[in-house]
Amino acid sequence: MEQVLLLLTTGENGSIGKAEREAVTATRNLVCALGGSVWTVGLIGGTISPAAEQLAGCGAAGFVGVEGKEFAVSRYASDAAAAEALCRAIGAGLVLAPGSSRLMRALGGVAQRLGARIDTHVVGLRVQDGAIQADRWYYRQRIEATLTRAHRPWILALDPGSFPPWDGAPGTASVKRVPLELGPEAQRTDVVGLQAVDTGEQTIRPEAELLFVAGAGWTKKQPDGKTHVEEAAHLILEFVRKTKASLGSSKSLVDLAGEGQAVLPFLTHLHQVGQTGATPRHPKGLATCCHGEEPHVVGWRFIGERRAINLDANCGWARGKADVLYVADAFEVLRAALRLLEGNEHR
Amino acid sequence: MNLSFHIVVCAGIVPDPLQTLEPVIGDSGPALKNEMLLPAVLDPWAAHALYEAAHLARGHAGSKVWLVSLSPRAKLQQVMMTVAQKAPFELVALDGPAGGFTDSAEVAGALAAAIEAIPGLDRSRLLLFGGWESAARGAGTTLAMVGERLGIFDQFQGVDELRVEPDGSLRILERVEGGRHQISRCAGPPAVLGWATGSLAEPPNQPQLGMQNMRTILPALQRAQSVALPAAELRFVRVALPSQQRQTRIVRDVAAEEVAREIVDWIRG
Amino acid sequence: MSEPELTRPVMETDIVCAGFGPAAGGFLTTLARRLADPSKPPIESRAMPGLPLQVVCYERADDIGFGVSGAVTRARAIRESFPDLDPAAIPMAAAVSREKLVYLLDPIGASRRPAALRLADRLIRALGSVLGLEHEALELAWLPAFLKKEDGLVLSIAQFNQWVGQQLLMTGAVQIWPGTPVADIVVENGTVAGVRLMDQGVDRHGKPAAGYQPGMEVRAALTVAADGPVGAVGRRLDAAFGTPEGFDNREWAIGMKFVIELAGQAELETGTVIHTIGYPEPEIFGFLYVHPERIASVGIFVPSWFDNPARTAYRYLQHYIRHPYLWRYLEGGRLRSWGAKSIRESGRRGEPKLAGNGYARIGEGSASTNVLTNSGVDEAWATGVMLAEAVIELLEQGKPFTRENLEASYVARRRASWVEKEARMAEHARDGFHRGFLSGLAGVALAGLTRGRLRLPGRPRKPAPSLEEYFRGRIPPEEIARIRAECARQNRPLHDALMERAGWPPIPLDGRLLVSHQDALLVGGKVQAPPGVADHVVFLYPYLCEECGMRICVEICSGEAIQPRADGPPVFEREKCVHCGACVWNCPRENVLLEAGAGGLHSAEN
Repeated sequence: MEQVLLLLTTGENGSIGKAEREAVTATRNLVCALGGSVWTVGLIGGTISPAAEQLAGCGAAGFVGVEGKEFAVSRYASDAAAAEALCRAIGAGLVLAPGSSRLMRALGGVAQRLGARIDTHVVGLRVQDGAIQADRWYYRQRIEATLTRAHRPWILALDPGSFPPWDGAPGTASVKRVPLELGPEAQRTDVVGLQAVDTGEQTIRPEAELLFVAGAGWTKKQPDGKTHVEEAAHLILEFVRKTKASLGSSKSLVDLAGEGQAVLPFLTHLHQVGQTGATPRHPKGLATCCHGEEPHVVGWRFIGERRAINLDANCGWARGKADVLYVADAFEVLRAALRLLEGNEHR
Repeated sequence: MNLSFHIVVCAGIVPDPLQTLEPVIGDSGPALKNEMLLPAVLDPWAAHALYEAAHLARGHAGSKVWLVSLSPRAKLQQVMMTVAQKAPFELVALDGPAGGFTDSAEVAGALAAAIEAIPGLDRSRLLLFGGWESAARGAGTTLAMVGERLGIFDQFQGVDELRVEPDGSLRILERVEGGRHQISRCAGPPAVLGWATGSLAEPPNQPQLGMQNMRTILPALQRAQSVALPAAELRFVRVALPSQQRQTRIVRDVAAEEVAREIVDWIRG
Repeated sequence: MSEPELTRPVMETDIVCAGFGPAAGGFLTTLARRLADPSKPPIESRAMPGLPLQVVCYERADDIGFGVSGAVTRARAIRESFPDLDPAAIPMAAAVSREKLVYLLDPIGASRRPAALRLADRLIRALGSVLGLEHEALELAWLPAFLKKEDGLVLSIAQFNQWVGQQLLMTGAVQIWPGTPVADIVVENGTVAGVRLMDQGVDRHGKPAAGYQPGMEVRAALTVAADGPVGAVGRRLDAAFGTPEGFDNREWAIGMKFVIELAGQAELETGTVIHTIGYPEPEIFGFLYVHPERIASVGIFVPSWFDNPARTAYRYLQHYIRHPYLWRYLEGGRLRSWGAKSIRESGRRGEPKLAGNGYARIGEGSASTNVLTNSGVDEAWATGVMLAEAVIELLEQGKPFTRENLEASYVARRRASWVEKEARMAEHARDGFHRGFLSGLAGVALAGLTRGRLRLPGRPRKPAPSLEEYFRGRIPPEEIARIRAECARQNRPLHDALMERAGWPPIPLDGRLLVSHQDALLVGGKVQAPPGVADHVVFLYPYLCEECGMRICVEICSGEAIQPRADGPPVFEREKCVHCGACVWNCPRENVLLEAGAGGLHSAEN
């Protein structure tokens, strides 16, 4: 029998978000498959009761929590101390958590304090012959592995977007508060606030339906022998705005920007998908003027329906990787698409 | 205020990102096929950390940079021929597997021991740098563990900017959800910073710097201790390349308007 | 007010070597052993008194394992340097186990074969069962002795270079710096005083830009040019000191190869070496070498005397591997990496000045490649060893690196060597090819069998014909004009359209072994496009490009890095360049300059 703890952090109003609710589903399913195990939800935040109420019907045996204004912020020292205290409070052998930036920062250190082992980027969990098997990625999402461990505690951070979010009805729930005093060594860091990147809304936004990927082809010479970077920038930004898409970029395009060339200045490494960039999850993806082989294309591995526009019918982003490849001039297609979308706005 | 830092950069090596990788399971667990043949580079995030470390050290007289790497010695030697030309540092080499299939707790143990053994390292001025993720293994739990082992409780991951304020405090920007940065202010070292890409470009090769670095790199490689990383309890059930072949419908010789209409319908659909 | 000019940093060394390939490998291995030998008196640096001799080698590529030169070698000189050499210690190395020479017939009918050859093909087909014709190929029962590599090694030169580099670095006696192109030589009073490294922080044209950092001047008593057949240092030496009388360096070939992981069913023994002639065009020679662990190198040589002005090695290589004789082994395999290099085939006639005041040349740039035996690696290594022996002799005697001293020590060793003896045999071996394929073969055989005493006349080289001339009788001129206009409109090279019009079937791309040229650039390699460096391929006079109707540079470019443009010279994309240098010797107007450059594609397995 496993002693399972699901670690969650709460937001400003004390509730939990999508990634946390996905982790609830994963934990419910795992505990069910384990048979006979119990699970507890561990909450960390400035206020935690709303989250417990939100999860009243999730099937957890109980709720424990560390609460207080110093736990309202996303900070290593306080989060690691709180997570450690909750794990110890229930003697957790198996700790699950969403792979949010906040918990990902803290969990490695928590594992060290507990003498635990940790796996991150977990995208699947199952029980086989009584043993828990976790699926995760290696080498920048290019190799899938399934692993199992005898060691406990075992911490598993779940990749957002890998499980359906739990959506049960709220109710009433009581939370057992675990008292925790932070020493001065845990309060050397103040969280000042959040800052949007200069590029404004045009970055990879996880909630968008569509990921639009711009490739280096946008800045190359067009059939008239000239580059049309300004128009490319206009077309891309307008298209992204009108379709409310998330904007990604190939590595080569971002690198060009790093060289100080006058190319699509609104693209930064935050937009980069594949290789050293992100592998975002969206239901749909449209790649434009991208070229490259498998390592580049990793960037849209987790995109559901994929289409591509490219002048080259053998484009690596498309062959065997996209559902549809339009062999066409992306400038012309986007111009036409903007006209269509414009008409729609006015209708 | 006179501020200087002792910056330790933890950096593994990985196959060049463009390589086609293929996993195999051997006697000692999974590995990459022909890993020793593939050209290797410093882990890209850790490389950014090194450039940031050099930049920081340059701006604060009396600072020093160490690069600690657990990698197969022969490959590390090769990677150093390029990296040594990029930034001044002293190498601390450990000879062991660099593949991502090792356990982070074991790697952290070896790295922390090596850092503790660095002569003259002032732990009160220590900034522990590394990549927030590793190109081989994913999320940077190793760096956090090394930090804990060294007793550092101010840790930051996905760092894009570090600014040293006049009062000696550190203003740090970390990547968080929604394409935003969280701004934190840390009282000062010691701290752990797992870097994202930062904002510095890869420095040009500087031959003189390379020759200067090589004076410590070669001896460091020669005395690199061999590290075994047992992880008997970790068992890989399978490692595989994801199958992702799709039947691509190729649409050609269709007017742009028609393509646009189909795409807009699909997006709306 | 103009920016103050940044001063160029200067470093003092004793010996500086440009390029790290087999020649530098032989040179540095021999030299480092002497320097690190505790039983011999130490050799002190003159540049930095009190320190040991300072020896630095700069390699332009991002790693020291770069190069695609011949992967089968008799390894005579290499074995002399490493008497206990165990191929198992070097990744991808194997002893040659069997060797064949195979004549490939044209199974498609698109190859441009002269009438005599067509007749011969008909005879072979008619007598097929008697001759043992199988898979559209005839395995020749007899392999001339001069071609044999049976006691040699199959190597990946990239892996071999890396192995050599590792041994060298651990001696601590020499330094090797990759990613550091040598841009120029420093000449003072008729003496080479060192080299100048590439400027960084410049725009594409080499003009200072953000972060400008002038390339360092590395001063040395001896500069060693080991930067290969198309190296910038070698060319600068020619420009500064001239070439010997009768110097003729117009014979070249482009070698291109695939490294292929063989499918499970392919029956090929490790160490197998197959040489082929006859297909995809009679002028194109081919090879297949089998490395350990079911990896094969398969490639072709497209020579300068093959006169198709729209020649494309990549497309020809794809047709080559699909020949039934090879395809039965290769089908189902996977492309692991790909690469190309120029081969300097002029032999002794193309030998530059081997040494002068303060400099010496080794390796392929010193014309060491033997076109008769199809061998270059071993010869290059041997020239490096010879120079090292000479240098050690001069250092031990306290003599300076003057032209006289280097000639008496290094050049004298060259002249007395097997490299020289065999080069003399090969000197006129390929002249016959200028008159046609069959006379060419006859010339090779004659030179090989008579050890160079007899030869067929054949020179001088004809200029490349126009497309209309080349395709006369196969594609009407108006059709060529239409294809030309169509390709110009789409800004793409002509070769695919012309080859398909001439009867070559389209390549059925499978995304594994048969991939588009652009995708091949990203297979198994490392594409480098460092910022802040100048373009290394320069079209000198734009008007010459505008006048040129041939654009062979676009067609031949191994990486599709040179793209056509409607007006002005072609467009060069640095990150796609594999530094093969084919653009230089294919340009009919000698209007392409290949400088030492960073970046480009890099495969570690070639």
